[in-house]
Amino acid sequence: MFSGFSHSVRGASHEKTGLVCQDSSAFKLGEQYAVVVVADGHGSKKHFRSHLGSRFAVEAAIEAIDRFYERSEELEANLPENHARIIRNIEKQIISNWNRRIDEHLAECPVTEEEKSKFKPEDFAAIPPESYYGSTLVAAVAGADYTFGLQIGDGSLVAVLEDGSAVMPMAYNESAPANVTASICNSNAAKMFSSFYLPNSRLIALFGSTDGLYTSFGSEYDFLDYHSIITSRLNDSGTFGNVILQNLKKRTHYGTEDDISLACVFHTKLLEEKLGLLQEKVSENKARSAQRKAEQLSKKAPK
Amino acid sequence: MSNEKFTDPALDAMDDNLLDFDDDPLSATGVSRKSLVIFFLIDTSGSMKGKKMGELNTVMEELIPEIRRVGEADTEVKIAVLTFSTEVQWMYANPIPIEEFEWARLRANGVTSLGAAFRELNQRMSRNGFLNSPSLSFAPVIFLMTDGYPSDDYKAGLEELQGNSWYKYGLKAALGIGQEANDNILAEFTGSADTVVHAYSGEQLAQMIKIIAVTSSQIGSKSMTLSDDTGKELGEDDVFAAKQKLLGQQIQELVSSQTDGSDIPFDTGW
Repeated sequence: MFSGFSHSVRGASHEKTGLVCQDSSAFKLGEQYAVVVVADGHGSKKHFRSHLGSRFAVEAAIEAIDRFYERSEELEANLPENHARIIRNIEKQIISNWNRRIDEHLAECPVTEEEKSKFKPEDFAAIPPESYYGSTLVAAVAGADYTFGLQIGDGSLVAVLEDGSAVMPMAYNESAPANVTASICNSNAAKMFSSFYLPNSRLIALFGSTDGLYTSFGSEYDFLDYHSIITSRLNDSGTFGNVILQNLKKRTHYGTEDDISLACVFHTKLLEEKLGLLQEKVSENKARSAQRKAEQLSKKAPK
Repeated sequence: MSNEKFTDPALDAMDDNLLDFDDDPLSATGVSRKSLVIFFLIDTSGSMKGKKMGELNTVMEELIPEIRRVGEADTEVKIAVLTFSTEVQWMYANPIPIEEFEWARLRANGVTSLGAAFRELNQRMSRNGFLNSPSLSFAPVIFLMTDGYPSDDYKAGLEELQGNSWYKYGLKAALGIGQEANDNILAEFTGSADTVVHAYSGEQLAQMIKIIAVTSSQIGSKSMTLSDDTGKELGEDDVFAAKQKLLGQQIQELVSSQTDGSDIPFDTGW
């Protein structure tokens, strides 16, 4: 019923500085549901293991969601009434899973002298161990006729609905502009999640991406149109998968130079039914984009 | 979890030879560089009439190519100009990329509604307003120029603006023109006396506008997310504070290196 893909590409700036890709991404295909997850490790000095932290975040999210779906009938029956509480519990479970992985990793791989050598002893002592692994997290679930998602820190979710429209279901938080991001390593992380629940909606496709993708666009329209184009080609995801991967590399190279992750799941039967509609949407979007550019030029005249 | 797929960034990073391809259907949605918006808040009240406004128009026309050079490397600079007199008005309906920006010569008339300008800036400085570009990677630069005392309740307007996160993290600088401009009010706006300068003549006006606009664009588009020059870790709040401090230092250094000039002050006969 569902299919999917995920890519994480190393940012052009990280290639220059020799920093490994700090992003992680994954998708999970269940019988009745599918999951996309991406995470963006912070990559700065005190988050020196954040490439692992992002991977642990992705694993922690899939583990938590799987656990809630062990009793899927009960979960789906409760979602319409109690989605806020259920999503909050999933978030708490993710944090718990992530912290467990951090503890296990630290026990197995204690901080090395080389890692410590980059700090003065007192500065190193002041860093909480979970900060070594700091990361954002974006995760979303597509069910039969609903979807929900959660996120901490920046990143984007895009849903392509059965009417062919592409929407960003998560409300934007203006309180943290310009690269100030929440993290799963924050001590009050459980209170820093944002979430959404979209009932009565069949999705053709669901995408999660780290902020390196979003910031490579000049407008939100272009960002959404990008997802529409991808969705209209998912029937040939084998060949098109490589096109997407190369495009992500191009976007980091010519865009903001950040790591980029994109994870996608799509409903294969619905996609097949709606392919004509999706292709029409892509043509309409192209015409609208040209119209917007013309309008912008006309607006350029002094007021 | 047999259907679970993880991406291996190491494998993905290996194939790097396909950055250029014309037949990419995804290229319909262009790639944007990191972007920065510079807001100019310009007093066009009646007291600016004559030499001050003439000089300001000339220097702004000359300035655009200079700022353009700042953006050439990896940052797209966009310009938004808000004028305030009896009314407040934007020069263009949206921030304009510097490559396309053309200065529309301003005229002076009316009173100094600085508070109204602060409120208008607060409204537009939002993701739903002028800062809606996803590629926006830096907090904005906000540059205020005025020659007189506000004629409205500027404190109420400033209070509203101070609640705006973009203002809080933005780089702020101000230029007082002539004797009447009140540096204390300008420092209230920028948050520090170091980022306030004064021009008493046409020559100084040209020098100061260029110093502030070019320096703030350079610092505004600088990535300082990892560490400062000492290698000490900076938090996000520290980054913005460090940028504002650096702007103040550089402005003061550049201002002190300028010659006094021998041209005639605005307030004595111009």
